Amino acid sequence: MSGGTGLSSAEPEPPLRRPNAALGWLRDRLGWDNLTHLAAKKEVPIHRYTAFYYLGGMALFLFLVQVATGILLLLYYRPSASEAFESVQYIMAEVPFGWLIRSIHSWGANLFVGIVLLHMASVFFLKAYRAPREMTWITGALLLFIALGFGFSGYLLPWNELSFFATRVGTDVPAQIPWIGPLLSRILRGGSDVTGATLSRFYGIHVAILPAITTLLLGLHLLLVQKHGMSVPLSVRRDEDRGALRFFPDFLLRDMVGWLVAVGILAALSALLPWELGKKADPFASAPSGIRPEWYFLSMFQALKYLPAKIAGIPGETLGVFLFGLLAFVVAALPLLDPGASRERPSPWWDRLATLVLVAALALTVLALLPAGGAGR
Amino acid sequence: MPILSAMKASEVAAPDDTSRRRWIRGLLGTSLGATIVSFLYPVLRYLVPPITSEPSQSEVELDVKASQIPPNTARIVPFAGKAVLLLRTASGELRALTATCTHLACTVQYRLERSDIWCACHNGTYDLNGTNVSGPPPRPLTKLDVNVRGDRIVIRRA
Amino acid sequence: MRAFLVLTLILALPGPAAQPRPAAPATGCVDCHLALDDARLTPPAKAFSDDIHARSGFTCVFCHGGDAAAQDQELAHDVRKGFRGRIPPRDVPEVCGRCHADVGLMKQFNPSLRVDQLSEYRSSGHGHALAKGDSSVAQCASCHGAHGVLPVKDSRSAVSPARVAQTCNRCHGDAVLMGPHKLPSDVYSKYTRSVHFKAREKGDLSAPSCNSCHGNHGAIPPEVGSVANVCGTCHAVFAEQFKLSPHWEAFKEMGLPGCVTCHENHEIVEPTEEFLGTGPSGKCSSCHEEGSPGAKAAAGMREDLLGLAAGTRAARATIRRAAEAGMEVSRATFDLGRADDALVRARADVHLLRPSAVKEIASSGLTIARSARTAGLKALAERDYRRRGLFLSLGLIVLAVAALVLKIRDIDRRPRHS
Repeated sequence: MSGGTGLSSAEPEPPLRRPNAALGWLRDRLGWDNLTHLAAKKEVPIHRYTAFYYLGGMALFLFLVQVATGILLLLYYRPSASEAFESVQYIMAEVPFGWLIRSIHSWGANLFVGIVLLHMASVFFLKAYRAPREMTWITGALLLFIALGFGFSGYLLPWNELSFFATRVGTDVPAQIPWIGPLLSRILRGGSDVTGATLSRFYGIHVAILPAITTLLLGLHLLLVQKHGMSVPLSVRRDEDRGALRFFPDFLLRDMVGWLVAVGILAALSALLPWELGKKADPFASAPSGIRPEWYFLSMFQALKYLPAKIAGIPGETLGVFLFGLLAFVVAALPLLDPGASRERPSPWWDRLATLVLVAALALTVLALLPAGGAGR
Repeated sequence: MPILSAMKASEVAAPDDTSRRRWIRGLLGTSLGATIVSFLYPVLRYLVPPITSEPSQSEVELDVKASQIPPNTARIVPFAGKAVLLLRTASGELRALTATCTHLACTVQYRLERSDIWCACHNGTYDLNGTNVSGPPPRPLTKLDVNVRGDRIVIRRA
Repeated sequence: MRAFLVLTLILALPGPAAQPRPAAPATGCVDCHLALDDARLTPPAKAFSDDIHARSGFTCVFCHGGDAAAQDQELAHDVRKGFRGRIPPRDVPEVCGRCHADVGLMKQFNPSLRVDQLSEYRSSGHGHALAKGDSSVAQCASCHGAHGVLPVKDSRSAVSPARVAQTCNRCHGDAVLMGPHKLPSDVYSKYTRSVHFKAREKGDLSAPSCNSCHGNHGAIPPEVGSVANVCGTCHAVFAEQFKLSPHWEAFKEMGLPGCVTCHENHEIVEPTEEFLGTGPSGKCSSCHEEGSPGAKAAAGMREDLLGLAAGTRAARATIRRAAEAGMEVSRATFDLGRADDALVRARADVHLLRPSAVKEIASSGLTIARSARTAGLKALAERDYRRRGLFLSLGLIVLAVAALVLKIRDIDRRPRHS
């Protein structure tokens, strides 16, 4: 960078004329050369399945949208049973663009979980969890459970009729776990039933505990992705190598197209189908018909209904919860359980099992959405 | 930016290519900038609180002033979309009661001659505490909190 | 010894359900009648255990006379001890009245009970007929029962507020019984089609049943001239308006029964604007010819009411659309409530039969309804503003996406460098 060698030689150059001067000043003090060199080298392999690489970045972007809109909502939301509903009503009706921020947050949550599930499914089928990326998968699975936790805790916060009863039903499920179940349910609820104490607790979980855990896990997850780079599916390895795309700026520009489209969809949904608020929760009223959790919990919800009351002396629901726990464990520990993962070999039985589980989950979700004897309780 | 300057270093294109590139870069910068502004505008507007800082479903400052309500009079005022009877007793105390009769939802009225609250639909009466004293009404009227700050009246749910 | 004393003391203590009783009543009557197991003689003995009189210490002899302590039938049924067996219907009111019309006696048991039932009964339609020797009409036992009498507040009682009408209907719904008295027997079924019955079914016990308008013990239909007063105990405003209207004197002259003339007495249905005028459901055509000043006045009032109702409906629909779109409409909702109030007032003022009064209220109500609708439209406009804003930002996004795509293609075209 040309310029004076000392303070006495020249007048300070006006920063506007040479933008690189300001950046240079920062670079000399913060020293990001290593990062920029690494960034310039970051590449994305080109093959038949390259499109799936966008999903991870999309999930991250939608998460950031949730954080931003969530922080904005924090400025007006009041987490007490007597004020929560009114504060959300206030945001929807009286705060300028409050309707937009809130609807983006609510729609965004659903879009976020959907993209995370797609991301996970694509990583699974493309076998990107093979060595050395096992930890990336494990942190990712934990992040999925946290995302579901965000969804579950956030759903209660407006304290409206549907969310109150959905939470009551949802927190009944852990109570089925033998020995520690009732205690777990009590800890979740902040009491023996869903009350204002539950609201406070879910609020703390939603805005502090889960974000803290996410920061650590997501940080680790992203770090590992940068460290190991993009994985190439087994089937492609054997094909011709079609080269790679630079991340900066090529892949990033394409990423931004996706992000802008996502924002457009969120904005359209918010303006055309604003997220409804309904009636304030009344703990003493009877549950209205058709109470059900958000769509990402529907398959589990519906599955529990099909379990008989008792199987070999064990309550059906307890068995159901145990099976879900087992499923969660298998999902999280997948790279350690799949022998093909560490040997760069395909694992068709795992693929078939996963397909079966996904199809079953889809079928259960559809069944739960049917009006006749579906999700109404 | 180092990346852009790195790109510039590799440009060995023809002049019309350069102007085309500049045009594209200009379009990109402008459209992205405009999009970001269209995102920032609602956010900045959002940050500025509305004039009523409390949700109107919980607390409302009335248009009518305390000095405009003499003793032994009442008027109907709006609160969260519903009618509320704001009355001042003969002894000067301001009270607010829901003005929807608990029988069949007609709007009640204040009767000065008898200092009570009357529903014209089926001749139901309430006393000034909202208690249903005669006629069909099965339940009392709900009391609301009234606070006076200077000449301003603020009504809240009790 | 000590144990024996303690035991005696314990046994001497009053049991859990002890009630203050006069000198221990012997239960000779009930024991014997129960043992008889006779279809006619046993049921009264059985029913009496639940009777309010039994609980207060009154036994069979207080009404039937005889000797309660006697174990022998002839001694128990001793006429010299006042035994009279089955009390004929004609004598029932006096027997009951011996206690129930005695102020001093009733005060000892329940001071808040009235003591004028007998004199009221004597003024009733039933009382008059009974005095003339007709034993088929209702007397005390017909409605209250004879041996299993329950307090009126007990929901099992045949004369509890919820069951009174069905009890009246036992006779008044029987054409065979009503025929000789030249009374209709479809009164209850007509009543079940009325708004009052429907209100009671929904749990509003303030709505009238038979006794509310006809009286309890002095049951007799209100006279033609007093109908408006009776209806006016609840419908006060309407009665007041009606008395100020030209119909009040006219109906009195013609001997028409006030409110009942247009609204019926038992089959009181929900009134609609169609009552006004000479149309198919119009009530006016029985006196007012089509085209007469009266008919025109009625038609005018009807139009005003319908106009206000339509205006409120339109406003309500607009506001609901805005509310469903998430807009703030509390002020508009409040104003709409004032318009509803105006409609209620206008419908009451119809009974003044002064078209100008109705028009005044209806038009002020319509103004309010229109301004509420305007507020609703403003809220919808705000929603449209949001959608326009959306399209603007969508347009910008499309532009930005297009610019990005152009940039991407441009970069792709350039020679790659490592």
